Amino acid sequence: MSHSKGSDEILTILANGKINEKYYKLIFSSPKLSRGVVPGQFLHMKITQGNDPYLRRPFSYYRVTGQKVEVLYEVLGYGTQVLCQKKKGEKLKAMGPLGKGFSAKIDKKKRILVAGGVGVPPLVFLAEKYPTEYLLIGTKSKAELMPRRELKRAKAKVLYSTEDGSFGTKGRVTLLLEKILADQDPDEFFIQTCGPKPMMQAVITLARKYGVEGEASWDESMACGVGACLGCMVETVAGRVRACVEGPVIPFKDLVIP
Amino acid sequence: MKADLTTHIKSLTLKNPITVASGTFGTTDEYSGYVDPKKLGAIITKTITVKPRAGNPMPRICETSAGMLNAIGLQNKGLEDFLEHKIPYFKKLGVPLIVSIAGETTAEFTELAKAFEAHRDVVSALEINLSCPNVEGGGVNFMKKQERILEAVKSVREGTGLLTFAKLSPELGDVSAIAGTILKQGIDGLSLINTLRGMSVDIRSRRSKLAKDFGGLSGPAIKPVALRYVYQLKKEFGVPVIASGGISNVKDALEFLIVGADLLAVGTANFVEPGATQAIIDGLAAFCRKEGLRNIGGLRGSYKSAEEKVSGCKL
Repeated sequence: MSHSKGSDEILTILANGKINEKYYKLIFSSPKLSRGVVPGQFLHMKITQGNDPYLRRPFSYYRVTGQKVEVLYEVLGYGTQVLCQKKKGEKLKAMGPLGKGFSAKIDKKKRILVAGGVGVPPLVFLAEKYPTEYLLIGTKSKAELMPRRELKRAKAKVLYSTEDGSFGTKGRVTLLLEKILADQDPDEFFIQTCGPKPMMQAVITLARKYGVEGEASWDESMACGVGACLGCMVETVAGRVRACVEGPVIPFKDLVIP
Repeated sequence: MKADLTTHIKSLTLKNPITVASGTFGTTDEYSGYVDPKKLGAIITKTITVKPRAGNPMPRICETSAGMLNAIGLQNKGLEDFLEHKIPYFKKLGVPLIVSIAGETTAEFTELAKAFEAHRDVVSALEINLSCPNVEGGGVNFMKKQERILEAVKSVREGTGLLTFAKLSPELGDVSAIAGTILKQGIDGLSLINTLRGMSVDIRSRRSKLAKDFGGLSGPAIKPVALRYVYQLKKEFGVPVIASGGISNVKDALEFLIVGADLLAVGTANFVEPGATQAIIDGLAAFCRKEGLRNIGGLRGSYKSAEEKVSGCKL
């Protein structure tokens, strides 16, 4: 019944700003929030004190170096609009590390990471920490790509797809994935994916077609972040589980895709 | 001077008046890394039903101004699992336990009451959830037929002599009339209020932000409504009242105490600030010291009505 607990603390922002057209980067330092972090785990942030916005927001860890924590985010809604205005020296409250991250050990298989949108940062983190064969990144166009300097520590062949063909292969990221699985021995690979649900669904469909195992970071709207509210349930073969505790990273074989 | 927060509710003695609202504190130890549950005056469980319930589809929650909507749908593992796996945890914890129950039929209310009657060593009281907005049988729609409320409370009363509170919501209709009827059936106290039904629309998809059209609104947004009901019903009936509805900090807790609440249930605030209950307990003691009050009882029901003051002047 017991599971690992995160920490809740007030932290001081070391840096917070735009790094390109799409992404903002937040940096802070914390002994507790940086301890034992697994890529795929998340921070649950109270962006302002008071009621506006009211709930905390989950953000995946982007990079942890010693006690320094980096979070890469896009401004997608009201919470991130408020967050992106925060300046160096201002305070935030955050709980973390929460949830179950991606598997580090993948049983001698080669790692393929398939990332899209807000799913890119945690997979870059994973590729920096563990040997990775391929990191496949799909976006709508070149303008949304992460700056190249952010990817230089990733231990992987990085391949891109853009829907408009402005960079890398034209089309969806699953084109890149299918080419690898069709040209090579699919039994050698293990897939880890994070991104928009339609993308992850397509990835899982391909993985099933080629008999490849893997994991997806499957989240839902979240309130508490610690397993109390039962807001973020994910359908699995064993019934509904909490994205914030038993997930967000869930094996493909357990997921029941709607 | 040490402030005494001890709270007496009929036969029950609690070390302070702070508890957690049903469904906001997990099933057992979800918050134990962030707050010491042993410090709470009491714990109210997530609602237990006879049969396991899978709850509603996702999305089940969405944020609103100063609050949130939820449509969880009473997801729980059912009575048998609770008795087998959760009761031992609470027995060991030793904090007074208030079990929230909901039945889909009269027979289920009786079964639940009897089951917890057999665990009087662990269970201090029951809270009958008569006002969940997110389920069909036993939920707020079902209970709108007021004879069903009457049947439910009669069944519980027949099944147990445990201290019993009825959790009501303005959604049921005339809360005062309902309270009057059920108190005549031997219900000991009221729990006010449950979430208020609301909705939220995604302007692009033109659909609800929840998987259902409506959800239950909770958080600071509903606090003034909750405060009003606690004040009115406490004044009218004088029975023990568990207050819930946006209690997030010590000021909120004090307002509810001043209008007469006996027990203060912190709900949605747990999701935002896991340390909220402890901060409120500390804050109450500090406030008592500052005001020179030896015990919290001196605050309870100390509200000075604006209307009574006016009529007093006239006399």
